[in-house]
Formats: sequence, structure tokens, C-alpha cells
Amino acid sequence: MAARETIICIGCPLGCRVTVAQDKKGRITQIKGAECKQGEKYVLKEFENPVRTLTATVRTGDESYPLLPVRTSIPVPKILLADIMLQTAKARVEPPVKAGDVILKNVLKTGSDLIATSDWSG
Amino acid sequence: MPRRVDVAVIGAGPAGLAAAIAARGQGAERVMIIERAEQLGGLLPQCIHNGFGLVYFEEDMTGPEYEKVFIEKTRDLGVETQLETMVIDMDGKRNITAVSQTHGYMKLKPGAVVLAMGCRERARGALGIPGARPSGILTAGTCQRYVNIEGYMPGDRYVILGSGDIGMIMARRLTLEGARVEAVLEIMPWAGGLIRNEVQCLHDFGIPLLLEHTVSFIHGSNRIEGVTVSKVDRQLRGIPGTQRSFACNCLLLSAGLIPENEISLKAGVELDPMTGGPVVDQHRQTSVPGIFAGGNVVHVHDLVDWVSWEAELAGRSAALFADKGKVKVAGGVKVVPGANIKYVVPQLISGKDDVTLYMRVTQPGQNATVKIGGAMKKKFRFVRPSEMITIDVKGNKLKDAGAGKELVVDCEIKGSG
Repeated sequence: MAARETIICIGCPLGCRVTVAQDKKGRITQIKGAECKQGEKYVLKEFENPVRTLTATVRTGDESYPLLPVRTSIPVPKILLADIMLQTAKARVEPPVKAGDVILKNVLKTGSDLIATSDWSG
Repeated sequence: MPRRVDVAVIGAGPAGLAAAIAARGQGAERVMIIERAEQLGGLLPQCIHNGFGLVYFEEDMTGPEYEKVFIEKTRDLGVETQLETMVIDMDGKRNITAVSQTHGYMKLKPGAVVLAMGCRERARGALGIPGARPSGILTAGTCQRYVNIEGYMPGDRYVILGSGDIGMIMARRLTLEGARVEAVLEIMPWAGGLIRNEVQCLHDFGIPLLLEHTVSFIHGSNRIEGVTVSKVDRQLRGIPGTQRSFACNCLLLSAGLIPENEISLKAGVELDPMTGGPVVDQHRQTSVPGIFAGGNVVHVHDLVDWVSWEAELAGRSAALFADKGKVKVAGGVKVVPGANIKYVVPQLISGKDDVTLYMRVTQPGQNATVKIGGAMKKKFRFVRPSEMITIDVKGNKLKDAGAGKELVVDCEIKGSG
């Protein structure tokens, strides 16, 4: 499907507005507006598969420490952020937890685990 | 008898932790951190988002992950920590008075002090927003604590005033938690936070950023029911006829941070009106010998990584002072902000040693040249008030330029922002 999109590069304070165009066969036909090669690379990746690290919290059931902070171990597709939030809302944890422990494995088959970012001794 | 320690650090946020570790590393035996909260880490535990450590560790970490490294190090090094302890007084001779529930009234006489109290958010009273005084108006950081630590949402429909980083990060966080964020308002013609936050926190979720807009009225009696917003002119005055209204049950304020210096003032430390923090020399010594300062208490940084670095410098200097009874005060060249420069830290340098200068511009612009007196120039493609500028200056360049008593830093701009 042919597409055209303007993406703001976040690589540096310059914040280049880069236009990317794609033809019907999915080939990139134009990439315009980036001041550097790294910016083009970032924008291309952002155009083809925008990913984000999701950070959130999981309920512990412990009144004195109600929430355990968590993150995805690797960035996940941007369009799945809301769906992953619904998974974290359902998750429960038991102490003790160490930062880095897996809370949800391969969340929504993204290949990314939801991991704790803090210790919780309970 | 007051308790004696080599170095006392006031505040256990990222600055305090880094300062204490560095002081131990420099050879100070007894290092004590005094912290009013019940845990170490300052604000980092509630900053559950990533983006920390990119410079310091070259790794993308969350707040709790970043803090953990420093907290474990203070434990390994045997740094003493006094939690739930409030410093209520300090004089110019480093006599500290503190109180805590467990220890009661406590006197302390350290060989050197590091101020690491950080900063606090500008609240409604400092912004002077007209309208009613209902509940539901809170700072972005307070909201962050409710949502990320205590586990409840203060509202489900928000307007955020100010486009500082915490405000934008909360806009994303609240949206992900199912709330609706109507808009982020920014009185200036440019966003207050980092560009990556503007993109990943606002654009990603379709949250409008209204530049040159502010809240002109707050509606509601017991609970906030909505706000009227107006476009502002160049003098930041509301333009009649541009008002529009948003319904909301929470208004978050993310309109600037102020270094927290009540204790500094009690000790007679001179403050810089532009930074709101102590005037420091290149060792991060304040105007009072033996009292050092690092991190957001000196000036508000963009990244925690730089807070850690600055506090390490303050911690090392404090350890040297505790050992030798003095740290050679820099020769006495005053660094003065010139055209389009809001402030420069440190404010006092020797004029012959290598030094790193940190500064902010007043106005954004393209193709900028920053001139460090006659010593050197550095070109920047783009400067923004929200992005701190860091310039390493060689001591021999300063010596050759014969800086004299004052070194003026200017920023020349060829294109507008």
C-alpha cells in the first residue's frame, strides 16, 4: 500500500521533520528532511515498525507497597501498548521479587517479557 | 557534644547518593546522608519511566533501576544513612541541627557538607491562576506519586498546564492508565521539555500541545469541573476572544522547578537569582567555605546523569576539604551570562584550569555560536532553553585569553527558532 508520513526525529534537539514515502509495493521512494544519516536510519525504522519500551506497574496486594514497577525487557510495537497495559492490569505478583525477574513471559507474543524494575522483599 | 562525621550530605536523591559515594571514594571515612523521607532515592522511585542512564551508564534504565545501582554502592561503601530525619538548621560554621522520631534532636558537626536537597515544583500559588479554589489541582510530581507509588488515580479527565518533562510523561502515563488527557498547555511558543518526550508522550497518543496558551480561569466549587484557556500575546497576556473551555476533574501543574535552598540560606550561602541555587566555584564550593552543593539544588538539570556527575564533583571536593581543612578556592574569575544566556554554572572559575561550563539560553534559535569570552567559540545547529548546553574549556585557552576578573559568555543566533 502506498503511504506517506512525516516523522519527527528524536535523535537530537534539532527535531528534524522527515517525510517518508512508500510506493504500492512497499518500496521506500523518498526520505526527505533529515539533517544526518543516523536520523534517516531512525526515521526509517520508525516508519516501518515503531517500537517503544513500555513502563507500568503491577498490583502487589500489599498495602504498604501497593505497586511494583515493571517494564518490557525489549521495546514492543507501539500499537500494542494499550493491549499490554490490559495484561499488566491483570497480573499479580508474590514476594520476594528481584529487579529483572520476569512477571509476564513473552507478553502478547511480542518476544518481550514484562520484568520487574525494583526489588520487593514483601 | 555534637556528633562528628567527615562529610554530611543533605538529601538522598540521585545527587546525595552520588556525592556520598564520591566522598567515600576520595577517602572520607565517615560519610553520612541525612534524608527526610523514609527511603533513599529521592524522586527516582516514582519515576518508573525509562530514559535514565543513557549518558552515565550508556544504558536505557528506569528510575528505580538507576537508583538501585547507587543505593547498593552506598551500602557496600558503608555510608551511614539517617532516614526520616529533617535538617532544621545549619550555620555558616557547619553546625547542623536535625530532628527525627527515632533519634530526637541531633547535633552534628561535619568536616564538610554537601547540599543535595534537589528542587521542588512550582505550585499554584506561584503561578497566580485566577478562578475558584476547588480540589483536584496538583503538581505533576504529586500526581506521579499517587499513580506510581500509592496506587490510585486522582481523576479521569485531565488538563496539564506546562510542557515540562514530568508533565508530558504524566500525560502518557495517565493515558495508558485509561484516563483522558484533554490538552497540554504551554505559555511559551516552544515546548518546555525534551523533544523525545514531546513525540513519545504527546504525539504517540494524539494529545494536543497548545503553545502560547495558558489557563485563564478555574471552574468548580468543591471539585474542579473545568478550565478556561486563552491564547497569550508576546507579553504573555491573555488575548480577548481566544478563550475556550475544557471539562476536567484534575488540573496538573508542570510549570517549572525551583531549587530548594531554605537550609542554604540559613547557613548564609549566597544564591544566584538566575538559577535559584547557590553560587558555586568549579569545585562546587559555595560562598561558605566547607559547604558544597551538587545536582538540582544548584541548577535544574535535564538529565539525572548530569546530576550524578555534578554531585560526584561536590562529594570529592567535600572529602578533600574535610581532610585538609580547605579546598583551594578558584582564582576568582567570575563567569557572567551575556547575550541570550540565562545562566552559567559554575559562576566562579580559576581561569587557568580546565573546566566544564553548563548553561542555558534564553531564546531558542538555529546556527548559534556560543562565545566563552575570548577563550573559545562553539557552534550549535540548534539551541533551546529546555536543553542544557555543556562546553569543556581548556585551562590554557583561558590563560591565553587573559580572562581578567570577568568572563562573559554570549550566544549569537543567526536564524530564529
